[in-house]
Amino acid sequence: MFNSLLKKLILKQSGKTKIWIARGGLGIAIFLLLTAIQIQSNYDFLLNNQTNKDSIGDFLVINKMLNNETIGNTEIDSSLILKLKEQSFTESIGILTPSRFKASIQSISDRFPFYTDISFESVPDSFIDIRNINFSWKPDADFVPVIVPNMFLDIYNFQFSISQNLPQLSPEIVKMIVFKITVYGNRGPVQFNAKIVGFSDRIASMLVPTQFIEWGNQYADTKESNSVSRLVIKTKDPSDPSIARFLMENQLNTNNEKLRFSKYRKIIDTVVSIAGFTGLIMLAFSLLIFTLFIQLNIANSKEEIGLLIILGASPNQLSRFLFRHFFPGNLISILAGIFLVSLLQFLLQQLLQTQAILIPAFISNTTLISGIVLIALLWYITVKTIKKYIYW
Amino acid sequence: MQFELSSIIPKAIADRPSVMQSDIWGLKINFSKGKNIKITAPSGTGKTTLVNILYGLNKNYTGQLLYNQKDLATITPAELSNLRQIHWSIVFQDLKLFPAITARENIELKRTMQKPVVASSEMEQMAKMLGIDSILNQPAGICSYGEQQRIAIVRALMQPFDFLILDEPFSHLDINNKKKAAQLIQRECEKRGAGIIITDLDKDEYFDYQENLKL
Repeated sequence: MFNSLLKKLILKQSGKTKIWIARGGLGIAIFLLLTAIQIQSNYDFLLNNQTNKDSIGDFLVINKMLNNETIGNTEIDSSLILKLKEQSFTESIGILTPSRFKASIQSISDRFPFYTDISFESVPDSFIDIRNINFSWKPDADFVPVIVPNMFLDIYNFQFSISQNLPQLSPEIVKMIVFKITVYGNRGPVQFNAKIVGFSDRIASMLVPTQFIEWGNQYADTKESNSVSRLVIKTKDPSDPSIARFLMENQLNTNNEKLRFSKYRKIIDTVVSIAGFTGLIMLAFSLLIFTLFIQLNIANSKEEIGLLIILGASPNQLSRFLFRHFFPGNLISILAGIFLVSLLQFLLQQLLQTQAILIPAFISNTTLISGIVLIALLWYITVKTIKKYIYW
Repeated sequence: MQFELSSIIPKAIADRPSVMQSDIWGLKINFSKGKNIKITAPSGTGKTTLVNILYGLNKNYTGQLLYNQKDLATITPAELSNLRQIHWSIVFQDLKLFPAITARENIELKRTMQKPVVASSEMEQMAKMLGIDSILNQPAGICSYGEQQRIAIVRALMQPFDFLILDEPFSHLDINNKKKAAQLIQRECEKRGAGIIITDLDKDEYFDYQENLKL
């Protein structure tokens, strides 16, 4: 009864349409702001979640750009390596050590005869994407483990085998084939048995254990050299535009396919920033409108509020009443904004699932907490404004 | 429960000669709960000023006014509204009704402002007793001044109180209505063990006064 009388006395000119338009604006502001946060959260999820981890995505093999000026001088010096290490996008760096000895491989089976000259590379174990293998070598080992690029097997199965009328080979069969590696040095050629132990998408090289490369280089008695011409870096986000920028500035090269997302990322970042910024501006305006609206309502009923206080109504009673009048509608706007973002996230999840991109069906904790913080902010501003004008 | 007035002089009338002859201004005087106090004075001597000072509306005075040892000059808005809801009730000389809402709503507003101590049916009986039951659903603004005065009296009786402050409450009532209103007020004050502080232009015998003071 008391509240309905207060409504009659204080809110006689409440301007319902105007306040609901303002609340619509608030809902859109919250939606834009939270969408920007949610897109960022989705992006982080895609980068960090194992389900989505693309084995080529996180590792970039880098070398000097080869052009007329750099021919014969493709060494990456230690200061550049140090600079690369200091970049925010670099998680770790691995140096690719090339074989500096002459080598060849050949089949020991007449069924699959082949022979070719070859070179190898080695890389620290942490950069190898084949798990559960013993990728090490000793001179008295039974065989040299070799990792070959997946691409090589594809070329064999889908081009070479067809043109040469040879059978196609599954990875499992290839792993069973033993072949010979011949290393040529001053003391004559040395042969080792070798086996392919895995296929990799990460580094387009024939990889052998570091110990084998070191042994071969020593055996071939090549001039000792620590020069580095290829590196592999582990990065959290290969689409980070600063990678492409750094490589360009330092005349470095990588597989551009791996960086093409950086262009899209730039566009998405811009769109997300604009959405977030627009959301922030709209939020600021909405809050200003609500503050003015409360102020206007109280000013319009100043006489009635004054008389109510004279008659014994406490400022707290009136504040509570005004809060209950203004806040729930605003809360509905914020909740509607959060609901819309949740709905969008769910639909996006359904859509991306069909393209084998997995994102969560629900909004992230960061988005949810941001929503809660916005509710708290609105609560605080409403309470503060009412108190300010009630206790005049 | 008592008002303690110590050397209170309203600044607005401090220079007037009547202040020197007053039984209240500039003196130390207490108003205790349960006592009926009549304050008689001609126009312009500060009756309404005294009422406003007692009710915490006017702080423009020298001296000190305590209620239950609490200085009314430094009281918080929350404490003041608590006093107005539970300890003091009032009939203003200018009535202070909301003209746009009905007589019933004016009364209900006060009845429901705090935890109701008077039932709605009881309120109807009081209105009937004062002859305003038929105008309860009319906007207060279109009622005659006499009717409005009775609405204000019923409204003042809707809450708990220790003191009922009445500022010329019967000025527009006929003798018959004056008696009925006084009877009702007396009955309600006795129920609460409350005292009356009433100001008027002339002496009267509507209540059994323990103190008759001249302003």
